[in-house]
Amino acid sequence: MTDTPSRTWKTASGIPLKSSYCREDIPQWYLPEINKAPGELPYQRGAFAQGYRSKPWRIFQLSGFGKPEDENERIKFLLAHGETGFLMEHDRNTADHMYNVDHPDVLARPQDVGLTGAVMQSIRDIDICLSDLPISTTFGHAGGAVVQHAPFALAGYWTVAKRRGLSLETLPGTGQSDFFLTYHGCVPKHQIPTAAGLRFNADIIEFCYKYVKRWVPVSIAAYNGADTGLNAYQELGALFANAVEYLDEIKRRDSMPLEAAAKACGGVNFRLSMDLFEEASKIRAGRKMWADLLERRYGISDAKARQLRIHCVTSGSNMTYQQPLNNIVRGTLMALAGVLSGIQSLGISGYDEALSIPSEHAHQMSVRIQQILQHETNVPAVVDPLGGSYYIESLTAELIERAWSFFDEIQSRGGFLETLNTGWLHHCAHENQHEDFLAQERKERIIVGVNDFRADISPFEVDGFVGVNDAFDVAMQRLKDVRATRAQRPAAQALHNLERVCRNSENIMPAMMDALDAEVTLGEIGDVWRSVLGDWVAPQITI
Amino acid sequence: MKNSARILIAKTGLDGHWRGASLVARALREAGFDVVMAGMSSWEEIVQAISDKEVDLLGISIGGHMEVAERAIAEARKVRPDLPVMVGGVVPPWAKKKLEAQGVEVYPPGSQMSEITEGAQRLTGYRAEPMPGSDTGRSQA
Repeated sequence: MTDTPSRTWKTASGIPLKSSYCREDIPQWYLPEINKAPGELPYQRGAFAQGYRSKPWRIFQLSGFGKPEDENERIKFLLAHGETGFLMEHDRNTADHMYNVDHPDVLARPQDVGLTGAVMQSIRDIDICLSDLPISTTFGHAGGAVVQHAPFALAGYWTVAKRRGLSLETLPGTGQSDFFLTYHGCVPKHQIPTAAGLRFNADIIEFCYKYVKRWVPVSIAAYNGADTGLNAYQELGALFANAVEYLDEIKRRDSMPLEAAAKACGGVNFRLSMDLFEEASKIRAGRKMWADLLERRYGISDAKARQLRIHCVTSGSNMTYQQPLNNIVRGTLMALAGVLSGIQSLGISGYDEALSIPSEHAHQMSVRIQQILQHETNVPAVVDPLGGSYYIESLTAELIERAWSFFDEIQSRGGFLETLNTGWLHHCAHENQHEDFLAQERKERIIVGVNDFRADISPFEVDGFVGVNDAFDVAMQRLKDVRATRAQRPAAQALHNLERVCRNSENIMPAMMDALDAEVTLGEIGDVWRSVLGDWVAPQITI
Repeated sequence: MKNSARILIAKTGLDGHWRGASLVARALREAGFDVVMAGMSSWEEIVQAISDKEVDLLGISIGGHMEVAERAIAEARKVRPDLPVMVGGVVPPWAKKKLEAQGVEVYPPGSQMSEITEGAQRLTGYRAEPMPGSDTGRSQA
């Protein structure tokens, strides 16, 4: 081992740590919370009294590549191995940008098509991807992580359900429509401005309230802010700054009860990283912050509306390229932080995350780790097993204080959308990443196999997953087919109507449903967005 | 030793994850390089950019298929056969070997800051005093 400089003990977000904690370390304002039970407001000890005894967390792995049938096969593989919900991933090149495969930007790189998500340009493709999947009973994620793509992905999933004779009223599932992904962590070349994105998300929330009642309409994924660099308390503060943009918009519209909007926004996604106790404390802090925020800002007293339901994904950026089998251990530890803090749903990044999208084996391993945690460790037996620890309780309180400060700073800078538009939030993330890069360089932060302990004698070769090579060609043929064989008049009418709705202030979703049903394609809808809504000017740092 | 060197950093894919390229750009700037960010670029745009901007080193951030990056590198070398190329991003070991066989330096995830800046210094023959306030190169390893 190499010599390490004298170590400074602090959390990953930089909170200084003592060598041990006692009751006096817990601030006065927080003391009354300690004796509250799980399932009791403000929920930092757990949203539900019986925790995993009443419902195990959902095993929920992101999956997808190639043609819609390739993605369908992988989803079936995961369900067969014990996944308890499923996620669809749409091709980044086409979906994120609302391009068909014959767009010049896609034609410039045809081999990229289908590399990270299946190509789905019309309802026909979405139908293939969902073939034989139990969508009436299984919690499905329709994709649509990118805000401008979400209406397409959701309308596609719901239209397939309708065509199968299912009632939207009872259809379970979620989409994402995530500002952190599309305006912060993974910025497409072209996309609608943030104000238009806010309109879309509020439209989706309203539409679900009326017609798709069991659906979680949006899922704020602060994961994507954190894996770009935001630390634990910034992740919390920014997530709630995002949530109040949605709730304020619904309040302005006065179109549905705020309690229902709070429930709609209360299914969120955090990152789990390597600082086990900080991450567990973060999740606990998040639940209390949400319950308090809804009461203070909106006067919502309904206990159920104030329950934050949490999906977590283990940090992809903490998965190393070097000695990738070590990532199985990292995935386990990051997942454990979530399980100890009572999350509802979990995805573990593949051990080959730094090399490629997950291989079948890496995917299976992510499911197996979760099953081992559920069935062998006995961790699920007791709700909030860390509750009452002086360290955890004081860290939970500290994170809450720091997160509210960050939330307030975002408000003072004009709110969440404005800090995205100006690039301020990106700079916060970038500064942290740069500091971390320096800390690794100075060996103040050791990453096993990366900047120390580099010798590797593993006999197992991990060489990354190579997808399929016909995604582009098949997508091009299917695009030609749908254009040639759909009923042209209804398609043209639906597209025309979508443009009309887009230009005024009506809810976009009914027109989207009609457009998908009429086999209007992804790129045609993208053209409407581009001509009517314009383009977001991304902050310089992201380019 | 030259007294300045320009590095063009381009992303060959349409995947918008910017973190890696942005971190590397900052490290190189703090090591004294003039870094031009070209964003998501087709091979034609990369060829245009290296022709217009008198570039000393081409940096490619791969978030997509290897063949797309290989094409861009091959086309860049048609107009600038002497131009050194560094690649970062998601490059599995099989692709790393393939690129290295083509004379490309590959810096996969986990590459340390000094490895990247020293690689750029070696490839361009340029070394500057770090800028004030920069910690780059002050390794305590």
